[in-house]
Amino acid sequence: MLDKPASVLRLRERLLDSERLMEETGCYDGITELTLRNEDPLKFETLHTKLRAYCVSAREMARRISASPGVREVGEMVVAIYTPEGDAIALSNGIMVHVHTMSRFIKWMIKNNYEENPKIREGDIFANNDAFIGTVQVPDVMDVVPIFHEGTLVGWAGAVCHELEAGGITPGGDVCLAQERFTEGLFVCAEKIGENDEIRRDYVIRCERNLRMPIYWVLDEKAKVASCIDMRESVKQLISEIGLDYWMKVSKEFIEEGRRAQLARTRQLTVPGIYRGHTFYGHVTAGKPGFQLLGDPDWLYNIPIEMEITTDGKITMDFEGTQPWGYHSMNCTPAGMDGGMFVTLTQHMNFEGLVNDGAWMATELKLPHGTWTNPDNEMVATATSWALLLPAYGVFQRLLSRGFVARGFVEEAFVGQVNSPMIEMGGESQYGTPFGMAHFECAAAGSGALAIADGLDTAYVGWNPESDMGNIEVWEQSMPMVYIGRSIVPNSGGAGKYRGGCSFVSTWLINKTSHLRLHTSEHSSRVFDNSGMCGGYPAPTCQKHRAVRNSNIHELAANGEPLAHAPGIDPDVSDYEKNIGGDHVLVEGPYITSPHKSGDIFSHSYNGGGGYGDVLERDPIKTAWDVENGYLTREAAIQVFGIVLKDDAEGYPVADIDATVERRAAMRKQRLAKAIPVSDWIAAERGRVEKADFAPEVKKMYASAIKLSSRFTKDFSDFWTVDAKSIFMPGAKP
Amino acid sequence: MTSYSKEVLGDLAAGKLPWPQTRRIMSAYKDDDRFFKMVAVYQDRVAWADPILLPVSDHLFICQSGDERITRCECGHSFGDYRKNWKLKAAIIVRNTEEALREIYPNSDIPDPQWMEIREFICPECGTMHEVEAAAPGYPIVHDFEPDLEGFYREWLGKPL
Repeated sequence: MLDKPASVLRLRERLLDSERLMEETGCYDGITELTLRNEDPLKFETLHTKLRAYCVSAREMARRISASPGVREVGEMVVAIYTPEGDAIALSNGIMVHVHTMSRFIKWMIKNNYEENPKIREGDIFANNDAFIGTVQVPDVMDVVPIFHEGTLVGWAGAVCHELEAGGITPGGDVCLAQERFTEGLFVCAEKIGENDEIRRDYVIRCERNLRMPIYWVLDEKAKVASCIDMRESVKQLISEIGLDYWMKVSKEFIEEGRRAQLARTRQLTVPGIYRGHTFYGHVTAGKPGFQLLGDPDWLYNIPIEMEITTDGKITMDFEGTQPWGYHSMNCTPAGMDGGMFVTLTQHMNFEGLVNDGAWMATELKLPHGTWTNPDNEMVATATSWALLLPAYGVFQRLLSRGFVARGFVEEAFVGQVNSPMIEMGGESQYGTPFGMAHFECAAAGSGALAIADGLDTAYVGWNPESDMGNIEVWEQSMPMVYIGRSIVPNSGGAGKYRGGCSFVSTWLINKTSHLRLHTSEHSSRVFDNSGMCGGYPAPTCQKHRAVRNSNIHELAANGEPLAHAPGIDPDVSDYEKNIGGDHVLVEGPYITSPHKSGDIFSHSYNGGGGYGDVLERDPIKTAWDVENGYLTREAAIQVFGIVLKDDAEGYPVADIDATVERRAAMRKQRLAKAIPVSDWIAAERGRVEKADFAPEVKKMYASAIKLSSRFTKDFSDFWTVDAKSIFMPGAKP
Repeated sequence: MTSYSKEVLGDLAAGKLPWPQTRRIMSAYKDDDRFFKMVAVYQDRVAWADPILLPVSDHLFICQSGDERITRCECGHSFGDYRKNWKLKAAIIVRNTEEALREIYPNSDIPDPQWMEIREFICPECGTMHEVEAAAPGYPIVHDFEPDLEGFYREWLGKPL
């Protein structure tokens, strides 16, 4: 079975052979027995640990070459080592989503016969940021180099950085205004960008001529190539120690072991069955400058997921019933969907043992053709795929967590990740030069609650498990804005027995520029794109943007008047409006407006996580601490949680336990008095459904889901005992 | 093999275990005897005698009740056959006005009730909130979980029901 040292087959044939063996045996590359592991498990484990150390070390070295605060501060990078066929053997920490997207990139080159032309030779460097070949979005630029041993291809080393500027229609990396591929920015489509370990000068010139801030991209290329060469040389040294045959066998056994470990962990941590959940995403752009009217400017997407866990431990995720792709930047390719699966598994199940592509092989994604998860048109934009990916994989986290709760592993249950809207910017820098940048402090949202504790405050995003918001001073070096506030947003975690982690809000004074374009992406409107669990509420998600144009802040400062450093807790009148003069602006959804200039003020909120459990069970003492420290307001404590607070002698809030017990009993009574049987509600609501008495965007959502999915149509029709098609698609064939 | 006492697991489930100890449990290899011990913890917590077969939410359990397997609230209220969606037998409060949403989100921007509503599924007997759905108006109520109970016991636990 393992008799494939330095295969004589051409790479493409070898890849197809490997896929055939997997199909026939159910095991990676036909490896039905872990011979080397059984012979010497210690050597087996030690070798994998070495490979992982090569990856971690190469990434850390590369971060010090990079000029980008995204890579240096926030760690937006990952590296990995692959088999000749492009399957990940070992990986570093970081943005692990790309371990599998890079795998797709390598396989794409092999299947497209790169061996013939442009040829795969020692010292070559290949790059890609085309999501239909293998990445998530245009700023995720990946480089791979082949690893040769005595003339034979024995593997690949790969690295990905998230670029802060991609040269698209709007500045920054996540090109929010892209409505089709041609406005997303600079594409590098599985291109040979270097030979003999050197990046081609003409490629660098292309980058320099097509990006607003080429220093980030170009130095990141150098960082990635350095890390790949570092890993390549380490692997070559290892092969000289253990022998080529052993390497070729053990590298594949690692992956099969990873696959088996994932199945075993599913059997250990969950319960077989069908799990279901959904989330939504709203997009509001009507009247905003720059949007072409290629589709509806305002729309609502549903993202239903059905997950099946079979008794052999396989996890299948099915997205049937979701929405079609659209003329916006949030579509995703199967590569991106795979990446989302990989990074989620890595955090929740595949966190011990041999972390590699094997885990992904123990799962299956069903991505309906024509939907945003698998567009049937490769011209669509995917520049901000995460906008839909994050809510979708947040659902996956909740579905898995339902399994953990059922199995008794309550400490693993987690209400899931949320979108963390990003700011993109460009124009004239504080140094008077052109610039462009994505502000990556969004890499520190609030996490969903756990089943045994509150979520993490300002410390988690799904796409980078090492979440970090970066230092204010470093960001200020890179943009013409200075911070006048960065603070916790009270009540931004979803309410529950355990609340979701809180988010933060930043406020900036625009400084030393006459032209600053500010845009935001991954910013859902009008709906929750997250959820609570087991009785917990979703976190608020649709905070609007506030800005003050032509502010009098310099005058206020000169007079020693109080400023405003955050929007405050009055939803109707912000602290900016209360304290600062100027033209106040309130923008719903993505922030896309005319340029700002010095003296303007801009604020941006990130998202908190969903809550877990019934609010009436929340610990009053913990809540008093939350109020004291600005995570909850007094108003929420009494109104939402039923917790009565009083002040101690020094004016600090303390829980009044007796009054709390009394209030909660009253609230429970009130609940029961207010609630009606679900059957009554269904009977009453059916009339509204029959008349399709919904907002146009809601009706459109139903019509689109019905058009694409017979299962959604049946489920909808069965639930309401109506004919969904005739309601939402009158005139359509039955 | 890793193993914890019922008392430790009881404290873990109740969120009362000190964080350093919780953290160690999170990081350690998982305890293979967890399921039945945790079921015993829950069994002690409920006032009724029907054997718990599977916890499905914070206060909801599938249990053996005579010849039937039902979903039961911790208070004892039965939501009927475990294969059916328990939510259909629950009581519901729907928040689909600005005023009703504002009660839960006093200081934040709130969703547009034309686009999204909150549905609270409540035990009609004790008033415990078992689940909250955030959905577009008209969206069918989701059946969260249909466990393969037979397969779980037979093939994974090695103990037929």
